[in-house]
Amino acid sequence: MELHVSTIIISMINFLVLVFLLKKFLYGPICGMLDARKEEVVNNLNQAEEAKNEAQKLKEDYQAQIKDAKNEAQEIINKATQIGEQTKNEIVAEAREEAAKLTKKAQEEISREKSEALNELRSEVANLAVLAAGKIVGKSIDVKDHENMVNNFVKEVGEAK
Amino acid sequence: MFLTNIAYASEESHSAIQVVFSIGPVEITSEIITMWAVMLLVTIVCYLGTRNLKRIPSGLQNVLEYGVSTLQSFFADLMGEKRAKQFLPMLMTFFILILCSNYSGVLPLAGEHIPGYKPPTSNVSVTAGFAIVVFFSVIIFGIKAKGLGYFKHFVEPIVILLPINILEQFTRPLSLALRLYGSVYGEEMVVASLASLIPLFLPIPMQVLGLLFGAIQAFVFTLLAAMYIEEATAVHH
Repeated sequence: MELHVSTIIISMINFLVLVFLLKKFLYGPICGMLDARKEEVVNNLNQAEEAKNEAQKLKEDYQAQIKDAKNEAQEIINKATQIGEQTKNEIVAEAREEAAKLTKKAQEEISREKSEALNELRSEVANLAVLAAGKIVGKSIDVKDHENMVNNFVKEVGEAK
Repeated sequence: MFLTNIAYASEESHSAIQVVFSIGPVEITSEIITMWAVMLLVTIVCYLGTRNLKRIPSGLQNVLEYGVSTLQSFFADLMGEKRAKQFLPMLMTFFILILCSNYSGVLPLAGEHIPGYKPPTSNVSVTAGFAIVVFFSVIIFGIKAKGLGYFKHFVEPIVILLPINILEQFTRPLSLALRLYGSVYGEEMVVASLASLIPLFLPIPMQVLGLLFGAIQAFVFTLLAAMYIEEATAVHH
């Protein structure tokens, strides 16, 4: 075992040269790459966090909007129901009024027709009675008596009915 | 007798310094050439793995990322996130270089005598070189972190420990160098001895152990270096 000076010195130089070479070809690129990747991961995580927050906010917004829309729809339905109810009431009332009017008109018509018919009948009967009485009695009776007789007769007939 | 002879013979040939060629006064040994090969291999692998980095890693990039982030988090446990990042290049290079150097001795041909191929960490000069780097970086990083206050710990807890504290600064790299060298060299010697007895199959259990020891020694060296640096740069409040 003996020391060889030039081997010692060349070993030292070799080592330093290799440090330089590996710095250039190994540590530099690899450490740079590792750092870059680390940074990228951190960035990505941050971005993901941001996106998540944004999504959360959007979700809340949309939920609020949906809630508003629901409320509005409910309001519209309520209003429509109310209007429908009102319209229905109006229509029914109108129809009732109309019906009542029609009924009343019909009744009036009936009673008018009835009294007309009665009058007609009355004069017809009177004429007939006069004619018959004249033939039976053979004598004429004045108009006044005649009328009285007819009226009595009619009255009796009506009562007998 | 027979065994010891073989072991002795192989030890002699292994401990000898093989100078493959020299550039002026600088002698290039087999260990240095092997270390260059290891460095080239490591650099090529890293280049291929990081040449075309993708956001979603696959294959080699995945392996490298896993290694870097595992070691980084290990050092972060030891010395905190910030200093782990600061010292990662140095500490991880120690780990990779020592691990690959140790494993270069596990290859089957390492026991043979091939000029220009010898596991670097089986030579004490190489491990001494690494230990010296640790020695100086502890002092440099200590002064960088705490200024002249770094030297205060030499007289702590009491002044009388000054010689021992100074001695410790030197025994640490010594133990680093010798531990690594002894482990790899010893393992290699055993493999060589076994291989010279029966070259087939017999060295395999030892080589498997060598894989384990190689990783442990690389880890221990790196861990101790990290602890020394941590201690020197720790700012006490």
